[in-house]
Amino acid sequence: MLERALLSPISGRGEQGPRQLARRRQLVAQNAPLVVAVVLVVGMLAIYIVLYAISLSAFPGTFEAASITDHAIPLSLAAVGQTMVILTRGIDLSVGGMMDLTNALAALKIQGGFLTEALWTVIILLIGAAGGLLNGLLVAFGRIQPILVTLGTLSIFQGLALWVLPSPGGHVATGYTSLFLNPNAPSALLWVILLGLAWVAFRRSRLGVQIFATGNDEQSARANSVPVIRTRLLVYVLGGTLAAGAGVALATTSTGGDATGGDVFTLSSIAAAVIGGVSLFGGRGSAVGAICGAFVLTVLIDILFFANVDPLFQPFFQGLFLVLAVGASTLVGRYLMRRR
Amino acid sequence: MSSTAETPPTPSRLRTTLNPDRRKIIYGFAAVVALFVLGDILKPGFATASGIQQVLQVSSFVGLVAAGQTFVILVGGIDLSVPWVLNAAAIVMIAQASGSNGQLWLGIVVALAIGLAFGVVNGLGIALLGVPAVVMTLGMNGIAQGLSLGVTHGLTCSGCTKPPPMTLVNLMTGKTGGIYTSLLIWLAVIALVTFVLSFTTFGRRVYAVGNSQRVSHLAGVNVKVVTVALYGLSGVFAAMAGVALAGFGGGATVGMGDPYLFQSIAAVVIGGTYILGGRGHYLGTVAGAIVLTTLVSVLLATNAPNYARDIVYGVVILVILLLYGRGRSEA
Repeated sequence: MLERALLSPISGRGEQGPRQLARRRQLVAQNAPLVVAVVLVVGMLAIYIVLYAISLSAFPGTFEAASITDHAIPLSLAAVGQTMVILTRGIDLSVGGMMDLTNALAALKIQGGFLTEALWTVIILLIGAAGGLLNGLLVAFGRIQPILVTLGTLSIFQGLALWVLPSPGGHVATGYTSLFLNPNAPSALLWVILLGLAWVAFRRSRLGVQIFATGNDEQSARANSVPVIRTRLLVYVLGGTLAAGAGVALATTSTGGDATGGDVFTLSSIAAAVIGGVSLFGGRGSAVGAICGAFVLTVLIDILFFANVDPLFQPFFQGLFLVLAVGASTLVGRYLMRRR
Repeated sequence: MSSTAETPPTPSRLRTTLNPDRRKIIYGFAAVVALFVLGDILKPGFATASGIQQVLQVSSFVGLVAAGQTFVILVGGIDLSVPWVLNAAAIVMIAQASGSNGQLWLGIVVALAIGLAFGVVNGLGIALLGVPAVVMTLGMNGIAQGLSLGVTHGLTCSGCTKPPPMTLVNLMTGKTGGIYTSLLIWLAVIALVTFVLSFTTFGRRVYAVGNSQRVSHLAGVNVKVVTVALYGLSGVFAAMAGVALAGFGGGATVGMGDPYLFQSIAAVVIGGTYILGGRGHYLGTVAGAIVLTTLVSVLLATNAPNYARDIVYGVVILVILLLYGRGRSEA
């Protein structure tokens, strides 16, 4: 409500009044998490390059860039899906299960000619949408808390994944993998940029605005004739579809299919979104930030490698990083709020 | 008020005693009975005294973890650090005791202290820094995991592959007066937690903070102290479960705590505790833990394949929630 007052066109035009100053501060507060996320990515990349140069006395080239992007793609997709849901004050724990299922399906079915490969990609994305629809129906009409709905569907999707692919195996057709993988150039960066651009457009679409309205203040949104239930439903459908895309990407960027390979993405997609400045309380955040978060987490692993950290200690530093990054940005946010 | 004015009908004593929250606990235990009957039909001999005791014994581990989870969910939080706090405590206890009964008690104390320490750090991050509980406890889970694996070199150190001391094994697998000793320990915990929640000032404060932090602050409750204490308790309960599991399962293994994250949350919620805090009781969680374990046992008894078990498990959780876990209508 405060924002609306601050951003309304009535606030003095032309002159540099206190309102405009407040408005500019509001803009800073709104976008500060995104700026922090971008700074984090740049900083992490700088640390990575320095460590790489020290330990190998050479600079990372296109191969390294390609490796980082390839590894970051599944997490980026999952984190963007997670962001959509978190923006409406929800959470999707079934991301890991959906990625298990779609990863297994992709490893088994995406092969044997362009037509079948394309067809199965569409089918898998539709399965993701259907799983998301189930989540959405239970949240919007079943009126069960999102965390519980997706806890239940997580188990269902994991079961379906094991049914599809009882033991690890299968692989995506080699021609198909070049869509995502290219050892010589970070061509997968194109997908990331497309994803970011799609978000920038989506953010301004009708549904995009409705998502933010629902997440910010559901009652006001409803009073302003935002179809809250439909928005909720669509957010989970989008989240499921993106998780399915992440599952396909995971099958493509790894050597084979594994019906449990997606499990870790449930929590890491949340971590990526939060590092990217998406507020768990809804209504604040950007998918661009979430993508940044995914890259930060991916580069962090490489940094730990070049810093000669014992791989067994890796989760320690990942956890520490998560706590420190979010703790610091919470403190910065509080400071900005106080100044305003 | 004049005597002619219509006074609102006073709810009968039965209705006040059986408010919706308490009714959920009864439904939970009814579901347990129904599941045992179903299990006995599917596999005759499932619901014998010893069969029931075995299921209850397995439930006690979920029940211990879920005690801490109930506390933090009652104030609207969540503890995702349970798996590796549990695992770390088990490893520390095993390594400290290193197979001898003499060192067992010190091992248990150190393990519980470590659980408390992780929990308190969780609480401090959440209460003082204002980090969301999901993020703070998720990060601490990683920290506990990295420390456990790194310090023990992937659980290859000489002390950490030792079997648990016999005293602990006997305590966890033996019987006292015809009942599993571990069940008696759980009963003591149930009595203690129920007492704390229902009959102490601290318990009242927990519900107050869960209902509204602001109002409880204005009413003189130190919200931060309560929050830190509850996360500390959650760490202690997870550590307790770790010690118990190490004794029951014959040692510490990597990943032994992983199943207990989602199971503890599910037990709390199936037991009727409101995920956003302020309403619910540990007795409901107890019912939830037994429901989940019985369900898994029934599914195991039917010899259903793994994948079918996962699917049925998820469907049953959702059905139970649809029956009584729904929020108020948002018309």
